[in-house]
Amino acid sequence: MTLTTGVLGRPAEDTLPPLRHRAKARREHASTALLLAPPAVYFVLLFVVPLVVLLVYSFYTYSDFNFTAKLTLENYTQALTSPALRDFYFRTLKIAFAVSIIVVAVSYAFAHILMYVLPQAKRVLYFLVLVSLFGGYLVRIYAWRSMLGRDGVVNSFLISTHIISSPLGSLLNSNFAIVIALLNFLIPLGVLPIFSAMQNISPRLLEAAEDLGASRIRIVRTIVLPLTTRGIRAAFAFCFIATMAEWVTPQLLGGPLNQFVGNQILYEFGETLNWPLGAAIALTLIATVIVILGILFGLLRLVTRS
Amino acid sequence: MSQEHRPRRRGGAIGRISARVYVGLVLFFLFAPLVIVVVVSFNSTPNMNLHGGFSLRWYRQIAGDPLVVAAFGRTALAAICTALISAALGLSGALGAVRLAKGRWRTAVFTIPLVPLAFPALLFGVGLATFYHSMGIGFSIWAVIAGHVILALPFVFLVMGAALERFRFSLLEAARDLGAGTLTIFRTVTLPLLRPALLGAMFLSMAISVDEFVIAFFTAGSQQTLPLVLYGRINLGVNPGLNAIGSVLLVITMALAFLAARTSVLELP
Repeated sequence: MTLTTGVLGRPAEDTLPPLRHRAKARREHASTALLLAPPAVYFVLLFVVPLVVLLVYSFYTYSDFNFTAKLTLENYTQALTSPALRDFYFRTLKIAFAVSIIVVAVSYAFAHILMYVLPQAKRVLYFLVLVSLFGGYLVRIYAWRSMLGRDGVVNSFLISTHIISSPLGSLLNSNFAIVIALLNFLIPLGVLPIFSAMQNISPRLLEAAEDLGASRIRIVRTIVLPLTTRGIRAAFAFCFIATMAEWVTPQLLGGPLNQFVGNQILYEFGETLNWPLGAAIALTLIATVIVILGILFGLLRLVTRS
Repeated sequence: MSQEHRPRRRGGAIGRISARVYVGLVLFFLFAPLVIVVVVSFNSTPNMNLHGGFSLRWYRQIAGDPLVVAAFGRTALAAICTALISAALGLSGALGAVRLAKGRWRTAVFTIPLVPLAFPALLFGVGLATFYHSMGIGFSIWAVIAGHVILALPFVFLVMGAALERFRFSLLEAARDLGAGTLTIFRTVTLPLLRPALLGAMFLSMAISVDEFVIAFFTAGSQQTLPLVLYGRINLGVNPGLNAIGSVLLVITMALAFLAARTSVLELP
């Protein structure tokens, strides 16, 4: 670890005699370490250690609503081969891909408009998106549950405008309801990384392209899009990870037939008390997500390079 | 931003109108559910439609519900403790991190704390639960707070890191040259200058804690927070008081996020 000019101490003084200089550098090192230590210790103790404990528990042996510290691979065989769980995986993956792609598309257009079409409203719109990011995860899901219900606003609106004559019961307890609610709280999460990637593009670059006669579409295709792939990747990854590990939305909006892998994890932790199996499913889930994103981004890099 | 350099071609009038319509539709989609919950919470009939008149009936109902009141108290406690602990840890970390020279260490120190931002709450939640179980620590509101600090810490760290980038360290030199000690400098120069960012980060931490559901679900035990009460009652079936609880949660988180933005923490990048 080397130091820049001592930030809260005093700047490194070249005029100091070498010996004192070294002693001072050592003091600075010590105080930097002292400042970094409390959050680092906290982070390790309450984030890293819990995940290690989860890993250890995933090898424990379960029987009769209890588990013991006898190590086994049984939980992983079960997590990887259970046909019921495979269905859950397919459903979760399908929705995660759909939601992430829609979020990226909607957010990209939104961010593009903010930056280049309505720049005068940029501040206000950015602020609104940001505030909606922090507002009401559970409340949103609950709102959709009541809005999509038999006598919710969506049905009464459709009836009052004579689009339908009797309430649709199938709005709730469906993949449609899950996707709508997920889009509702993931779009702000998609807008932010894409927007900040666009914000980093030098306006001079775009002006130069314009002066050279490039069309709007050409500018987007050859300058904006390539320079915002990081933002797109971040938006996609955020949404994909969040959806893959979601359980509240399918629980409250999907009905018993549309559950996610996350609901099975919850079931093992809450109902059967098979924590080791729950832990094994959770860890295979995160491994799956990492592998899929790795492959996807690897392919993306190949495609964009050629 | 130098993007006002020169007016750029911005497509035709039709393009601008359709852009407005698009932005309007997206914002409508984002905010409609929230607006509806708040509006319906003032409805005198227990239905989700808007046929009844204005009434504070449901707010009176939840204010007289000891379970809701207790949960409200715990949510407030969790928010305040999360803000204080994550502010102290985040400030300390950011002050240490900016002292590092550019290089692998600095990159690591600035990246690793951001991992919980993208990490699924479900996994962190079950991880925390097994951790507490293995240590023989019971589930409680304190167990929840310990987890919320992990979620808030990245934001505090980001906000304080950005504030320190703009910090004029020459002021500290000046104070030292005038004979002030390290503690005096921290108390009279560093802290007052960082106060807006620190306050903003604390508002943000509080918003995160108030709104947080998954970690609380796994680690609160019987000491439920407000989102947990909401969840429990959604599962029980229709209860019109839910809109009032939801509105209270919404208004508090939105107000905190708004305050955080006002203290210029969430400035445009």
